[in-house]
Amino acid sequence: MSSALGSYPVAADYVALLPAFLVAVVPLLLLFVDLFFRGQGAMRRGVAVGIGIAGLVAAGVILAEQYPHDYAAFGGAFVQGGFSIVFSEIVIVATVATLLLSVGVGRDDQVAGTTSLLLWSASGALLMAGAANLMSVFLGLELLSLALYCLCAMSPRRTARESALKYLILSSMASGFLLYGSALMFGATGSVAFAALATATVTPLLALGAGLFLVGIAFKLSLVPFHAWTPDVYEGAPLPVTAFMSIVTKAGTLAVLARFAYAALPSDHASAILAPLWVLAALSMLVGNLAALAQTDMKRLLAYSGIAQVGYIVTAFAGQTALGLRYAILYLAGYLFMNMGAFAVIALMARDGDAIVGLPRFAGLAYRRPWLAAAMTFFLIGLAGLPPTIGFTGKILILSTSVSAGYAWLAGILIAGTAISAYVYFKIVRTMFAQTDLAHVRDERSRNALPWVAVAVCAVATFALGLVPLTPSNVLPLVK
Amino acid sequence: MTVTALVLGPILIGLALYAVPRERVAIARIVAAAVTALTFALAVADPHAADASLHWLSRPFDASFHLGFGPVSYWIVLLLSLTTFGGVLAASGPRSRDIAAQLLILQGAMNGVFLAKDLLLFALFWDLMLIPVFLVLVGTPHARAGWKYLIYNLSGGLALLLATAAFGVVTGSTDVIGRPNVHLMIGEVWGTWIFAGFAFAFLVKTPVFPFHTWMPETYAELPPPVVAVVSAVQSKAGLYGFLAIVLPFLGVEAARAQTLMFVLGTIALIYGALAALAERDAKRVVAYSSLSHLGLILLAVFSGSVLAIQGAVVYMVAHGLFSAVLFLVLGGVEQREETRDVARLGGLGARNPKLAGALMLAALAALGLPGLAGFSGEILILTGVFHAGFVWPAIVALIAIVLASAYMLRLFQTIMNGPELPDLPERRDLTWTEALAVAPLVAGFVLLGVNPGPVVAVAERAAHVAVPGAVTFSHALNAAEDSRVVGSR
Repeated sequence: MSSALGSYPVAADYVALLPAFLVAVVPLLLLFVDLFFRGQGAMRRGVAVGIGIAGLVAAGVILAEQYPHDYAAFGGAFVQGGFSIVFSEIVIVATVATLLLSVGVGRDDQVAGTTSLLLWSASGALLMAGAANLMSVFLGLELLSLALYCLCAMSPRRTARESALKYLILSSMASGFLLYGSALMFGATGSVAFAALATATVTPLLALGAGLFLVGIAFKLSLVPFHAWTPDVYEGAPLPVTAFMSIVTKAGTLAVLARFAYAALPSDHASAILAPLWVLAALSMLVGNLAALAQTDMKRLLAYSGIAQVGYIVTAFAGQTALGLRYAILYLAGYLFMNMGAFAVIALMARDGDAIVGLPRFAGLAYRRPWLAAAMTFFLIGLAGLPPTIGFTGKILILSTSVSAGYAWLAGILIAGTAISAYVYFKIVRTMFAQTDLAHVRDERSRNALPWVAVAVCAVATFALGLVPLTPSNVLPLVK
Repeated sequence: MTVTALVLGPILIGLALYAVPRERVAIARIVAAAVTALTFALAVADPHAADASLHWLSRPFDASFHLGFGPVSYWIVLLLSLTTFGGVLAASGPRSRDIAAQLLILQGAMNGVFLAKDLLLFALFWDLMLIPVFLVLVGTPHARAGWKYLIYNLSGGLALLLATAAFGVVTGSTDVIGRPNVHLMIGEVWGTWIFAGFAFAFLVKTPVFPFHTWMPETYAELPPPVVAVVSAVQSKAGLYGFLAIVLPFLGVEAARAQTLMFVLGTIALIYGALAALAERDAKRVVAYSSLSHLGLILLAVFSGSVLAIQGAVVYMVAHGLFSAVLFLVLGGVEQREETRDVARLGGLGARNPKLAGALMLAALAALGLPGLAGFSGEILILTGVFHAGFVWPAIVALIAIVLASAYMLRLFQTIMNGPELPDLPERRDLTWTEALAVAPLVAGFVLLGVNPGPVVAVAERAAHVAVPGAVTFSHALNAAEDSRVVGSR
């Protein structure tokens, strides 16, 4: 697909950008409509979230229509194709689910604001999915993060402000690494385009830049040892925001990582430059699961579990095989449903959809709210990698691809991590099913029933993807 | 169709049972019993059911949802229906509905394990069958047993998963079970690792010394209906795996590991028997006796003799039948007398003749009395192992079988014979539901003991599947020397 290299953007460029643009503009409409509401009321929440979801669905439909085409917009800075569209759809589904979770959270007059910020953040992730040069990567990343800093603080809890500040500082540091790495790479090659990096001769400067870039990415993905911020930030942030961060940030960053690993490195040096990444993945799988063992707060537990799960996904990139990328995307989609489902269950257990939910709150849940307990058990079984879920199928596919790519040791560590994680997830199952004295258990119910929709959709998807593991074929990141 | 129904039917109905109100235990039990009876009837009516196959994956290797009867699995499916039927009927107490539901789910999952013709599907059901047992265990007051069960068996399951992935990548297809003629190219290095993964999973599940430590605790804490099914059938999954997967496809590696397996099997044989002698907890006595008996089957499987493998199949079914009866009857004893400490029980036989009779029959079958099923299996195994040239293991096994008489009779005598103890509560003898629960199982091991022919005949096919180079081994008796080697790929 030709585009106006170095000249003014043409219409086709805007077509490529349309979904991300739509998601970024809908909040303006939403905020405008919100001006007409005075005071409180469920109506106000409904309209705000409704417009947000409508905008996201529209963007999702446009993306689906663009799927067969390839666009290289703005001189190759933004590339829309199978790869970016699949990641974008994951972002969109996760954001819609987040909105379902967030309807009941916060004051009525805050909902329009939080919804807008969520959409802006999502549009950042959409940019990252299509970003094909270092500048647009940074642009998307900052758009994603800036909105999230505000969102983290959107809760009356004191820990929310702590969480926001922590996130701001550490995330800025990560951006610093990323930017410095980008600058060095630009200095080494004279270009910011991934395509130019892929053909450049490897100098120490370029390798150093790539290394720093990867450190920044590892920070954002919370790979061990750059993970320490994640549990604290997740714990303090409002529940829907935590759910959003746990998937959308990962999806956006993984898209950048995948494009960088597959398409931006000179092929003869790629494996050497990326080698440390596999070590980080291995560490994440082990440390994330080990640290999760000790957690009793659900958000912290899921934060550590997320660290390990990202390790599984990055494992699939090892060897940079085309099949590995497909399975990474499949597992990411599966993780979206399993994790979002678990968050939706937690949201249903707190009156305002955002309370600190600790493990003791699950005591005897199977006897108090059997449907909720059944759903949670199913999601946890999936996260633990047991059948009949995408967790199982996704894992066996990742195992196969890393074995065939010659990374059997990484597959072994994945298995070890999974064995540890069984204790983490089944600890919750045990709490739900053990016989306990129910008199002392706080039985809170969410006022808002919409998370049930998320639970149902996630459960069906978790099951169906496990039986029919759809892996879109044209997902190799193209860089024109 | 039949095979699909055998797997999905119980699982779906088991899930649906949760819709029955918790208090309506009678409905749940009747429905569950009807379903298990139906699965039995279905398998009996259609022994030559066609395979059901649905394509699943084509990358990174071929895999299908492929279910079908094999020579061993047909008998195991029948055994499983009978034990689940017994378990459902014997379930009692406020959690009966949950137990009945979990038993059905377990039945479906285990049918899946034994009917799977695809290795990946096998691994799927292998992991799936952990979940109902764990859920039952965490509902009991002793959580530790649940953790031990889960961690051990899941480690095994994950090793199996990794080995399956490697198998699939190396050979290009996992749709191989029951097709020994497929020539697979597994290299030396891969073969060793894949064998190690499978062997670990199967040894943990069976269990075999030194991976057995989860077993006594799990068996002791599980409610009697569930432990009957787990001990009768789930413990056979590992042995089945050796027969259906390891021997046909990894024969070279299996032959290399023969000595190791013989050592482990012999240790399990003796250690299990001695522990059963020393144990006071009635359920643990049976648990350790299982360890001993399953060690014997492991010897048979790795002896490479067709006769011994036939014996192994017969003994797998026989052990399933009598161990289920033992656990159900001992569960009945515990429920009546509120203890299973052998030292605190005594003299129950006088007031409970039916209970005593059932325990007697099962104990006799377990110690290998001629005419009951245990004997047919043991004699085939011993003869086969001996003929294959393993004199010492056969002698050691014989000692363990003698010890079996000691602990089984001790168990029966201390509980049922002797003076009646004054401080034991007096309860009714075996009720008709309990009798109905054990009757088919007792009938099973009597019939199998009198006429093991059908199982032996079918087991010969299984043995030829398991031992490659079937021609050489079909005259195993004449060619004892050849059969020392398990086989080549």
